[in-house]
Order: sequence, then C-alpha cells, then structure tokens
Amino acid sequence: MMVAATERRRQVLMAGIGTALILVMGTVLFFGFRLATQTRTSISALQTASTLQTYPETIAQQLNSLRDRLEVRAYSGQALSELQASVKHVNANLRQLEASGDADGPQLSRAQLMWRQYQPVLEPVVNFTGQPYLDSDTAGSSLSSEGRRHYAEVKRAQLFANENARPLQTQLASLATALQRSSSDAATRLRTLLLAGVLAALVLAIAAGYFQLTRERQERAAREAQEQTRYILKSVREGFFLLDADHRIGSVWSEALTHMFSRTDFAGLSFEDLLKDLVPMATLTTAVKYVKLLWGERAHENLMKSINPLGQLEITRDNGHGAKETRYLQFDFHRVMGPQGIKHVLCSVSDITSNVLLARELQDSQDNANAQMDMMIGMMHVDPLQLTSFLDTTETSIKLVNTILREPARADAEFRKKLAGLFRELHSIKGEASALNLTSVASRVHVMEDMVSECKKRPELSGNDFLPLVLKLDELLAHLRGVREMATRLSVLKDSLPAATPAAGAAAPTPQSARAPAGRAPPGRAPGGRAAAAGSLNDLSPTLQSMATRLAQDHNKQFRLSVVGLADVPPPYASTIKDCLIQMLRNAAVHGIEAPDVRRNLAKQDVGVVKVEFRKTPGGYELVFEDDGAGITPQNLKAAAVRKRLVTEEAAGRMDTRAAMALIFAPGFSTQEGVSMDAGRGVGMDVVARSVATLGGKIGVSTHPGKFTRFRVVLPGADSDSAAVA
Amino acid sequence: MSTNPKPNAKKSFKLMIVDDSNIMRRRIERSQQFEELQVVGTAGNGLEALELFKKTDPDVVTMDLTMPQMDGIECIGRLVTLKPAVRILVISALADKATAVEAMEKGANGFLNKPFTDRQLNEAIAELLC
Repeated sequence: MMVAATERRRQVLMAGIGTALILVMGTVLFFGFRLATQTRTSISALQTASTLQTYPETIAQQLNSLRDRLEVRAYSGQALSELQASVKHVNANLRQLEASGDADGPQLSRAQLMWRQYQPVLEPVVNFTGQPYLDSDTAGSSLSSEGRRHYAEVKRAQLFANENARPLQTQLASLATALQRSSSDAATRLRTLLLAGVLAALVLAIAAGYFQLTRERQERAAREAQEQTRYILKSVREGFFLLDADHRIGSVWSEALTHMFSRTDFAGLSFEDLLKDLVPMATLTTAVKYVKLLWGERAHENLMKSINPLGQLEITRDNGHGAKETRYLQFDFHRVMGPQGIKHVLCSVSDITSNVLLARELQDSQDNANAQMDMMIGMMHVDPLQLTSFLDTTETSIKLVNTILREPARADAEFRKKLAGLFRELHSIKGEASALNLTSVASRVHVMEDMVSECKKRPELSGNDFLPLVLKLDELLAHLRGVREMATRLSVLKDSLPAATPAAGAAAPTPQSARAPAGRAPPGRAPGGRAAAAGSLNDLSPTLQSMATRLAQDHNKQFRLSVVGLADVPPPYASTIKDCLIQMLRNAAVHGIEAPDVRRNLAKQDVGVVKVEFRKTPGGYELVFEDDGAGITPQNLKAAAVRKRLVTEEAAGRMDTRAAMALIFAPGFSTQEGVSMDAGRGVGMDVVARSVATLGGKIGVSTHPGKFTRFRVVLPGADSDSAAVA
Repeated sequence: MSTNPKPNAKKSFKLMIVDDSNIMRRRIERSQQFEELQVVGTAGNGLEALELFKKTDPDVVTMDLTMPQMDGIECIGRLVTLKPAVRILVISALADKATAVEAMEKGANGFLNKPFTDRQLNEAIAELLC
C-alpha cells in the first residue's frame, strides 16, 4: 500500500517536471521568436535610417547641380531625374520606417516634420515638366518663361536645402542611433531569454534525473522486497493466504499449502471448495458460516478466535501413494483492516498432526500408567488366593472362549450362537474382575463386549468378523500374564516384609456383618492378610465390600452393604452364589439405590442399605438379597422390554404383573438405557437364573416401588464334600 | 417469567436474563456489576423471553441455549428480527464451536461457557457493551 502511494507521488512529480519543461521550452521559443523578429526589423530600419542620412546632402548637391546647369543653359533633364529619384527614395524610406513601427516615434516624427518642410520648395522643382530653354539662332539658348520660373524655384529650393540639409541629416542620424540602441536591446533580451531557458531546462533535467534515480532505487528495493516475500512464502512451514469478501483465496499464498492440501490451484479458489472433499459436511457448513461471520463486525477478534471451529481440523487426504491419511490442521484467522473496514481476512494454516498425536500418546501413556497403578492398588487389596483363583478361572474361561472361536461355523445362525457364547463368557470374566476391583482387566473385557455387540448388529457375519476379537483376546491374555507376574512379585514382597501386620492378618475374622459406607476406602481384609485368607476361600464378604465401594464411586451412589452368613456357603454352591451376588449387587447399585439427593426428596436416608443374608433352612439353603432402593414397577419392565424388542407392545399389554416381573430373567433384558461397565447389556440375571436352575434351585423377586427390591434364591441341601461343581 | 415493576430511569441499558435454571438466572443477576445495566426481567424459556422482550424492550440479553419450548438459537433469531440493535450474550454449557458459530450467525454478540466465574461474566458483558 505504501509502495503504491510512493509510486503515485513519483508519477505526479514526473508529470509536473515534464509539463514545466514543455512550458519553459514554449516560452523560450515564443519570446525568442518575437525578439528575433523584432531584432531583424530593427536592423532593417537601422539600415534604412543610415541610408537616409546621406540624402539631405545629396539633394542639396543635386539642386546645386541643377541650378548650375540652368544658369549655363546646359541640359538639366538628367539632374532633375536624379533629384526626382532622391526625393522619391526619401519619401519611400520614411514611409517604410513609419510602417515598421520600430523607429523611435518622436525622432521619426521630427524627421518627417523637417522633410515635410522640404515639400513646398521641392515639389514645384521635381514636378516641372516644361521646356526650360528657348533656342533661337540669334540669341542662342535662353530661358523660357517656364524656365525662368523653374530656375527661380530651383534657386529657392537650393537655398532651402543648403540651409536645412544638416539639421535633417542630424535628425536622421539620431533616428539611426535610436534604432541601433533598440536593436541592441532586443539582442540582449534574446540572449538573456535563451540563457534563462537553457538554465530552466537544465534544472528540470537534473530534477528528472534525480527522480529517475530515486525510482530505480525504489524499484530495486521493491524487487528485493518481493523476492524476500517469495522466499518467506516458499520456506515458511505455515500455510498463508488472504481471503477476499467473496471468501476466495488471493493470488499469493505460501508454498506449504500445496503440501497440506495436495493441490496448487489456490488463486480464486473459494474457502468452501478448499475444504469440500476433506471434511464432513457438518464441519464444512460450520467453517463456511464462521468465515462469513469474520466479515461482519458484530463480533470482535478475540471472541471470534475463541469460537474458531477450525482450531483442530481433522482432514483425510491422499498420501500420494494411493492410500488415505489423516492429518490435523489448525486454522487461524486475522482481519486485515482497510480505510473502509475489513479489507481481507488473513488465514494461517499449521499442520499440528504431530502435536495431536503426541498429546494422544501422552494421554494414552498417562491412562496406561494410571491403569497400572489402579491395578496394583486394587491387587494390594485383593486376597492373593482369590486373585490366583480368579486368574485360574479366567484362564479356563479364555480357553473356553478360544474353543468357541475355533468351532467351525458356516451359517449365520452358527456365528450368532458363537457370539452369544462368547458374550456370556466375557461377561462372566468382567463380573469377576469388577468384583476384585481389577479395573484394567474389566475395562479390557468391556471393550471386547462392545466389539461383540457391534458384530451382533451386523446383518451378515463371517469368520473375518471374529479376527479383531482374537487379537483382543491375545492382548487380554498378555495382560493377565502381567497381572499374574505382578501378583507373584507382590506376594514375594509381602513375604519379605517383616511381620508388621500379623495382628491385622491373624485377627481379622471372617466378617459376618461388614458395613461399608460407600465412597470410602474398602475396609475389607487388610493387605497383608494371607493367613486370614487361607481359611476362608469361599468367604465373599471382602470381595463384595470392595465391589460395593467401587460401584458406589462409579455411579455416585451411597449405600451400606450388610453381609451375613456367607462363610457358611457350602463349597459346591460357592461359585453360583458368588455370581448371583455380583450380579445382584451391580443391579442394586445401578438400578436400585437412588442418588442421595433423590433419596432425600423421597424422605429416605441419604445412605442406602443393601443386605445379603445366607442361611441354612430345613430343606437346604436360602440366599436373600435386598436393597431399599427404587424398586421395580411392572410398567417400567414392560416398557424396557418393548424398547429392547424382546416383546411386542401388544404382548406387553397382555402381561400380568407376574409375567412382567419374569422379564428380569429374560436374556438381553435391561432397563438401563446406555451401556456401562456394570449394567445395560442385559446379560447377567438370565445367567444367574440358569445357574441356580442347574443346581436344582429357584430364584424369585419381590418388590415395592419406591421402597425395596428383594431377590430370594432357594437351593437344595448340598453335600459339602462334593466340591466338583465349584 | 418475572418483570421488574419499577425500572430505574437512571440506567442506560435494560438487561433481560433468559435461562431455564432459576439458580442460574439469580446467579447472573447477582453477579453482574454494571451500574448502567437494569435487569428488566428474567425468562425460563424462549417463548417467555419473546413475550417479555416485547413488553420490556431490553437492550442487552443473556441467553441460555438448551431450554424447553423454544431453544436459545431460535429465540436469538426472533429477538434480532424484532430489534436488530439488541446485544445478546449466549451463556451455555454447550461448549462445541459449531453451536457458538450457529448462535453468532443467528445474531448473538458474545459467547460464554458454563460454568463461569463472576469475572468472566463481567468481562463478557463489558465486551458486549463497548
């Protein structure tokens, strides 16, 4: 902009100099011509005046000669003719001087006046045309009467001329002198004019030269600046371009853009076309709206910066080898203001892919470290024997999963059967891991459950759909090996420690009634409690307490868990009872117990109560699980079943309360809308019901909406020596 | 919807607060520290806001986006149609940039994310008034 203004100024100056030069030359030529003409006429007049000076004397002599001739009666014609010629010449020259106007007026007037005084005496002489002589043989030649008159006139003229010739001559000399002076003045003026013209032209030429020199210097500087701009635009790593009011890219942009967008046709390209094939439609629409907003002055720049939707734009582009790659670009926009408001919008684009990936890597690494730490802390609270038991069971389950995966299948129905089996095994592993607070294992299995769910949704299944699951299973196995290794190390560490907590370990009895205000650290078994654990492999209390604490934290609930009689669970029922309790506790935490503020509004205690009681009955055993939560309404169960498309709306309408309550044990049922680690998949209660049925038992549920839900499991008497079922 | 029956004539700008949360409405009213702002009314949804707007003709509006009956984005469009010179500060928990751009396109003049501090609120209002 500054360069353009300077250039305009320079052009105006050059035009001024050119005009001045033309004016000077014109003036010099015009006045020079006039002066030269004046000089020429002055010189001519001077010559005339000089010639005239001689004539008064000549006329006097011619008159003398004419008189002499007349006196001697000689031929006077020749003398008269010469006189006539002289008089005519003087008349003509005086007229010429008067006409030229160059002669000094008074001088010429005086000369003319003096000459006019000649006229009365000269006119009769020069106008004489008669015969001056009379010739007779006797008297010879004598003057005729005309001749005598003529003689008298000549004599008078001769006397007058002799008397006035010198004054007239002097006057004509003065006239000549005046003309010479005038001519000389004109010549001096002409010289001065020419000199001034040359000087002015010289000054203007110097000025023009100076400006030309300046211009060349400026042009050189501009060329250098242009060159430098080109270098900058070529080597800068950010993409720069200007957008005009039509949101089109200007003719100058930085080279980096060509790498970022794999194209070169930026000039005139609209911003929308630039992003069109790279981003989803919704993003494109937002981006275009945003750029449009930049042209309005409603929002100031800081606000616009804060709502920039292109701060981290994910684009998919061709990597040049036929494959697609994802890059992350950061767009920044700055308004370029002109005198009439926003003139352009400067856009800078940076490729922040490496930053984004690094940030993700750091986040993953942080998550991993946290998971490891959680796992370690979780493991420290887990009974080593329970942990070993879990790892052994899980290994068996995974072998089963592997067997399921290896089963040959061709038909879609067979694949779906495989998926169902896989899902149940995974869910079982997740339940155990959650109960032991092994979140790293539980979350991995949760991801696998997600993958199985995705597979279920596909219209057609093939063997290839199972490949990602196999890979994930390998990862899970590797992780379990890590857990086992860490468990071994922890065990060694605990053994090597001095017996700092023997009292805690030895004194910790099997808690018959553990009360754990949820949200606090699990108060279960002390970390060093190997000795205590040795005698109670089947005691689930600490595991349940630990799980209750985690569930409460995860779901922002508060409840106390009261456990009675679990130490009396016969070994054949231990596994089933454990599965039942884990599932019921999850259901209670997720569906049953209300959030503290909800409970307060319902005039309930903030902290809910979950009771577990196992006891021997005359006919066998009885497990009662009860929570004082929201209870279950048949309407909710029916609505959820319709949503899950387990039953039709008509069928749901026909269901009585009993049938509706039975939906709890239907495969795939859940009232939870979303899927979380603990609920929502509709797997669990159907497995529980089936396990109980396998043992010859029964499961029932009773509930009062807003007050409680109670599950009752009845099992037949068992042979405590038969541990094979566990 | 509530209106202030005695608007102070000394104040040079009338403020209307639109938010479906009563707590948030009170919070904004209490936290704004501008003498030249006179709260002329509060509304709990877009429809109430429109009605109140026609009655009180405010100069400045704080607008929530997620509200029942009529959301903030639609309400902004209607308010700007009624009075193009009105200045609207969107105060929303919807933090995505697309929503902000949408609101600005409809005619909002500022955007503030929930939760916010008193200082952030007053800075946002100050930018709106200048």
